[in-house]
Amino acid sequence: MAGVLELDGLSRQYGAVTALDKLSFCVPSGQVVGFLGPNGAGKTTTMRAIFGLTDLDAGSVRWNGAPVGPAQRRRFGYMPEERGLYPNMLVAEQVEYLGRLHGMDAAAAAAATRRWLERLEVADRATSKVEALSHGNQQRVQLAAALVHDPGVLVLDEPLAGLDPTGIDVIGEVLVEQAHTGRCVLFSSHQLDLVEDLCESVAIIDHGRLVASGSVDELAATGARRLTVRVEGDRQGTWARAIPGVKVSEADGGEVRLVLDDSTSSDVVLDAARAAGRVTQFLFQRRRLSEVFREAVSR
Amino acid sequence: MKALPVVVAALVAVTVIRLALRGRGRGRSSPISLLVARLRGRRLLGDTGLVAGREIRERLRSLVFRVVTVILFAVVAAAVVIPAIHSGTTKSQRVAVVASSASLEAELHDLAKSVGLSVEFVNVPDRSQARAALSAGQLNMVVDGAGEILVKNPISASDTSAGARYVRAVSVTLGAQRAFAQAGLTPEQAATVANAKPLPVESIQPGKKARTAAAATALLGVILIFIVLTQYLTWTLMGVMEEKASRVVEVLLATVRPTQLLAGKVIGIGAVALAQAVALVAFALVLAKAVGSSLVHGAAPLVVAATLVWLILGYAFYSWLYAAAGSLAERQDQVQSLALPLSAPLIFGYIVSLTGVSSGNASLLVKVLAYLPPTAPFAMPTLVGFGEATWWQFMLSVVVSLVCTVVMAIVASRIYGTAVLQTGGRVRLRELVPTLTK
Repeated sequence: MAGVLELDGLSRQYGAVTALDKLSFCVPSGQVVGFLGPNGAGKTTTMRAIFGLTDLDAGSVRWNGAPVGPAQRRRFGYMPEERGLYPNMLVAEQVEYLGRLHGMDAAAAAAATRRWLERLEVADRATSKVEALSHGNQQRVQLAAALVHDPGVLVLDEPLAGLDPTGIDVIGEVLVEQAHTGRCVLFSSHQLDLVEDLCESVAIIDHGRLVASGSVDELAATGARRLTVRVEGDRQGTWARAIPGVKVSEADGGEVRLVLDDSTSSDVVLDAARAAGRVTQFLFQRRRLSEVFREAVSR
Repeated sequence: MKALPVVVAALVAVTVIRLALRGRGRGRSSPISLLVARLRGRRLLGDTGLVAGREIRERLRSLVFRVVTVILFAVVAAAVVIPAIHSGTTKSQRVAVVASSASLEAELHDLAKSVGLSVEFVNVPDRSQARAALSAGQLNMVVDGAGEILVKNPISASDTSAGARYVRAVSVTLGAQRAFAQAGLTPEQAATVANAKPLPVESIQPGKKARTAAAATALLGVILIFIVLTQYLTWTLMGVMEEKASRVVEVLLATVRPTQLLAGKVIGIGAVALAQAVALVAFALVLAKAVGSSLVHGAAPLVVAATLVWLILGYAFYSWLYAAAGSLAERQDQVQSLALPLSAPLIFGYIVSLTGVSSGNASLLVKVLAYLPPTAPFAMPTLVGFGEATWWQFMLSVVVSLVCTVVMAIVASRIYGTAVLQTGGRVRLRELVPTLTK
């Protein structure tokens, strides 16, 4: 299963508020794409637009080159930000019902429901009402509902929010596995460390515009150079603060993390460090995703 | 015979309660879960059918539905059985005649008929044995051709039961006949006097018409329509609101069109409403037949049919409206402000029709309301009950209602499609104007 989900020039205006501003990016199959942005950046609006739940002023969503309509959406799986399940319905019946609405026959939906509830470790709650489940278990059921019909595209709004580490592991594994078996997987999150672990690539938006995108590796390797320096006897990195073109981004127990301007040579930093004391560590470092994010949205 | 209806009602009630309780334990073998399993295997009407199937399953499973059903059956049983028990205490009188003659027996027979009783003559060889049978409770009355009437217990002047009236009528008539004979009237003269009829008294104002069986049935029909409509329309409203509040509607609309979702809900809940109403009516008819109630006599079956037709039409008309209203709100308190304007026409139609049935006259207002879709579900069956609707008037009202229902469905689908995805406070109607004029 291969394909690509393309978002092309999506625009949406709510009165004076621009929710989406010619937003374009692709979600290729085979990798998990993290969808990042500050609160109110337009992530949820984008995801809703993929499912036709928000009218667009301009732009289109395509899957494998064809405009996305009701027929394509049957092959998509969606997990909305504010979870959507019937509180009074039994877990298995609910998942099965959603499978059938996506075109499965009764037997296939029942079998897939059993499989997914087991995979997501909530099979023992199959005959409970959804409202009787804990937040984390409801989230697992919600993911089962998004996966039950074996979708080609998975769009998940904050699937990891509020989960315990076990829940994150289980859901994270499933997302990676889905991507590696050829699905397009797009998920939004504010937990950037988790995104860095799970995603091959990211799209970062702000004020409805794409501000950065690409593979996590590439994004980490680009941008301003970073150094971590450890000088004996120094804990706050005061020696570095006076160097022109150098910013102290973190000073954590003696390890000082520095961001260098293009014009600043690392030699200058090394000289300043030596002048402050014995240098025990001097390392060039990749950007962390959180740094990529902060730099992208502060522009 | 007196106990039969009570036994039938009790059996039905016990069965329904057992069904309800068995389902609560989620027993896989209960009839409801078998029905659920069967419904699950079908895929009628595509996605709309799936949505409707879910609605039916969830309704049948809900405790509220089961409790309400049990109560409704009990109320119907009471409404049918209690009047029947009151009206027909002892249908047949066992009478022994000593020194009988054919004309005397014919006389006793006619008198029984005049108070709504039948008479069964019991042969007794003589007076003393007749007394014995009377005191043993095997007879209601002993008539001696020689001029004596015996009953077991004294009959008070205030006793208006059919049995008491019969004894009085026999006593007066036989007494008069004896007086005629003593006065020396010829049999012809005696017959003329005996058949004297009171002069008719005419009032200059039209009086109340006696309520016919059909009108009584219409009364029950109007009440049934009101209860069922109120109940199921509220469920439609709350159902839509809960889907919006729980955000499950986003997941559903990601794959189903709003019209399909809305239609599925309306059809599903409507099917349960209709099934419940049909079951109640069938139950009422069987029970009425068993206890000899007047509900099944005369034009009443026509009224029953009209009631069911208007129950469907009324639900079809209002359900769209209630579903659209539900899509405007996402909390119970937001529904409050919608509830009154929505239910006002329903209550108005109901009260006016009910007053009409009770007064015994179809007022001009009822005749007008019978053609307006919001009130026709109550007013038209009332007119049918009075026999004041011709078939073409009935059909005209049906057509008007159907046309308005289609318009309502289109408008409601548009409102629903927009409002159900709009969160953050109640959606104001003026926000929807662009949707409607699109």
